[in-house]
Amino acid sequence: MIETIQLSKRFKEKTVVEGVDLYLDKGESVGLLGPNGAGKSTTISIISSLLKPTTGDVKLDGESVIKNPGDIRKVLGVVPQEIALYQELTAYENLKFFGRIYRVPKSQLESRIQTTLELVGLKDRQKDLIKTFSGGMKRRINIASALLHHPKILILDEPTVGIDPQSRNYILEMIRKLNEQEGTTVLYTSHYMEEVEQLCDRVYIMDHGKVIASGSQSELLSILSNEDTMKVQLNQMSNELVKAILEIDVVRHVEETGDSIKIIAKKSSNIISNLVKLADQQNIKIMNFQMENPSLEDVFLHLTGRTLRD
Amino acid sequence: MLTFLIKDLLLFWRDRKEVVTVIILPLVIVVVLSISMSGIFEENQSENYDLSLSVVVEDDQSEAIEEFKASVSQSEQIANAMKQNVIAGVEKAPPVESLMQFLNSPELEDWITVNTMSESEAAESVEKGDHHAMLVIPEGYTSQLLSNIYLDQGTEPALKFSAEETAVEVDMVHDVIQGFLDQMNLQYAVSTSGGEVDMNQVQLPEGGTETLADDQSFSLNIDQYFTLSMGVLFVLFMASTVASRTGVEKREHTFNRITLTNTPALHFLFGKTCATFILAWLQILLIFIGSHLILGTFSDRSFTFWIGMVFVSSVFCFAVAGMSSIMTSISLRLKNPEAADGIFMSIIMLFGTIGGSFIPIYVLPDWLQQIGEFTPNGLTLAVLIEWFQFEDLSTLWMPSIALIGFTLILIFVSIILHPKKGEIS
Repeated sequence: MIETIQLSKRFKEKTVVEGVDLYLDKGESVGLLGPNGAGKSTTISIISSLLKPTTGDVKLDGESVIKNPGDIRKVLGVVPQEIALYQELTAYENLKFFGRIYRVPKSQLESRIQTTLELVGLKDRQKDLIKTFSGGMKRRINIASALLHHPKILILDEPTVGIDPQSRNYILEMIRKLNEQEGTTVLYTSHYMEEVEQLCDRVYIMDHGKVIASGSQSELLSILSNEDTMKVQLNQMSNELVKAILEIDVVRHVEETGDSIKIIAKKSSNIISNLVKLADQQNIKIMNFQMENPSLEDVFLHLTGRTLRD
Repeated sequence: MLTFLIKDLLLFWRDRKEVVTVIILPLVIVVVLSISMSGIFEENQSENYDLSLSVVVEDDQSEAIEEFKASVSQSEQIANAMKQNVIAGVEKAPPVESLMQFLNSPELEDWITVNTMSESEAAESVEKGDHHAMLVIPEGYTSQLLSNIYLDQGTEPALKFSAEETAVEVDMVHDVIQGFLDQMNLQYAVSTSGGEVDMNQVQLPEGGTETLADDQSFSLNIDQYFTLSMGVLFVLFMASTVASRTGVEKREHTFNRITLTNTPALHFLFGKTCATFILAWLQILLIFIGSHLILGTFSDRSFTFWIGMVFVSSVFCFAVAGMSSIMTSISLRLKNPEAADGIFMSIIMLFGTIGGSFIPIYVLPDWLQQIGEFTPNGLTLAVLIEWFQFEDLSTLWMPSIALIGFTLILIFVSIILHPKKGEIS
C-alpha cells in the first residue's frame, strides 16, 4: 500500500533521515520505534506529504506521493505529536471545521462528528473549549480530528506523550479497535516500546535517522536468542559490584534499576557462579535472581548500547 | 472559503482581549486624547501666530523704474499702444513696494511682524532667535524682474530667504511670500495683454500649513481629528492582527492539518482576507459611531455625509484586507512567524507615523507629508478630512480608485506568494 524508497532528509549540514526503506500493507499495524531525535517524526512528515525528502520517494499503490501529494492526503489521517487544534474553539467546532474542509458530505457531517466524539469518549464535553481540556482529552480530540473523513491509513506520531495512564490506555484501545474492526492501516510511532508491543504486527526500529532493525516482534526478539536477560535484587547497591560485573567477559550490559541490577550477557553456564562470587567478595547478599524474557527495549539496547529513553 | 471565514471570525470573537483592544481601546484613546489635548488645541486655534521676519532691502527701486521706463520706450518687443499701459502698471504697483505693503497689510500684521534692517543686523537677529527668518531683496532685483517679465531679458531674480531652523512658522512665512510673488508675476503678465495690474487681487496662498489659523477653512476640532486618525490607525492594525494568526496556526500545527485536508490553498488566504475586511469594517464604523455617541463628533451631519464616510471606510478596509492578505502569504513563507509579526508591526507603525495617525500631518515636513499620502492610511485620512470639510463627491473618486488599485496589486502578489495546493516544503 505504502512504501518508502531510500528516504533521506538533510537540514543544512545535518542528516535527519538516511536511506529509510519501509512498507505498510493494507490493514497492517506497523510501529516505528526509536528514541527522541531518531528521525521518526521527519519520516512521518515525508510520508504524509508535509515535507519533501532530499532524496528518495514515497509510493502509494505504486504512485509517487512526492509528485502527487493530493493522492495520499485523500486517504490519510494524520495525528501529529502536537495538539493541532484551535484552542479557542470548542471540541465540536474544531471537528465541524476539519470535517468541512475534509469535504465530509453535509448530510453525514453531524452524525460523523457525534460518532467520532463517542469513539474518543468526549461526547458530553463537545461544547467545551479545547483550552479547558486536560492533556489526555486534548489528545483524544486531536485523534478524532483525523478520523472524521474515515481515512484508510492512520499515521499517529507519539499520540500518548505526556498523558495519564488512563487516557493512554483509552487511546491505545481505540487505535487497536480501528485497526482490527475497521481495517484501518496504522503507522504508529513511539518511544514507548510497550505501546508498540501491544499494538503493532511489525516494527521498524530507528536510531540516528536510520532503520537499524525491522520485522515482526518475534523476529526482532530472536536477535537476542544468544543472550540472557536477568534481574538481580541485592540487599544493597554497590558501584564497585556493577563495575566488577561489567568486567566479566560475557556481560554486554549492566543497568541499575532501584535496588536491582539488570544484566544482559551472552548465554553462558558460569555467569551465575561468577555473580555469587563477586557479591561474596564485597559482602553483598543476593536477595532474588530472575531470568527475564527479552523485550523490544532489550533489542534496542542490544543494537545501540543505549536505552530508548537515553 | 466560507468555512475559513467563519473560523477566523469565531477565533477573533473568542479572544476577548483582542476584541477589547480593537474596539474599546481606540474609543478610550480618542476620548482621553480629546479631553487632555482640547485645551492645548483651543489655545492654538485662538492664538495669533507671531512670526517675525527681518527684511533687508538692497534694491533701489526708483532708479530701476526710471531705467525700465526708458527701456520700454526704446523697446521694439512691446507694441507702442501697450507701452503706456505697462509703465502705468509698474508705477502703480512697483514690485518691492508692493511686497512690503503686502507684508505689512492688515491680513498679515496679526501674525507676521516685519522689521527692516541691514543684512548684518538681520543675520544676527535670526541667529539669536529674535526673528524666525530673514528676507533679502538684493540689489538690482526690480530691474532684473521687470526686464525679465516685460523685455524677456536675463533671468528671473530670486529673493534670498533664510532661517536658522526649519519650523512650521518658517515654512508658513516662506509660503506666504512665494505665493505673493507668484501672484504679482501673474498680474504683471496680465498687464502685457492690456489688463490692469491689481495687487488687491493678490491673496494669501492656500495650502496645508496655514490651515491652523482661525480664519482659514480648517474646521476639524480635536475630537474629530483624533476620531478619524485613531479610527484609521486601529483599522490598520487589524491587517497585522489577522495575519499574525497565521503564525499561530503554523506554530500550533493547525496549518499543517489544513494542508493535509487537500483544501484549495487560496481558501485559507481568502478566508483571512475576507475576515480582515469584515472585522476592519465593523471596527471603523464602531469607532466612528462610538465617538459620535460619546463626544458628539459628527453632530448635525447629513445622511450623505454618513454615506460618504461608510464609502471611504469600506474602500480603506478593502485596502487593509489586501495588506492582511500579503502579510498572510509572507507569514507562510517565512520560517519564523515571530519575526514576521515583528516586521508587520514595524510596517504598520511606520505607515501610522507618516500617514499622520499618531501626530497631525501638518507638523511633518512637506516631503514626508507627500510620502504619507502614498500610504493607505495617510490617503484615507486626507480623504476623510476633505470629505468632512467639504462633502464634495469629486474628492472621493481618485483616492478610492488608487486604494482599490493598491489592494488589487497586493492581493495579486499575495496569491503569487502563497504556497500552492500540494506544494510541500
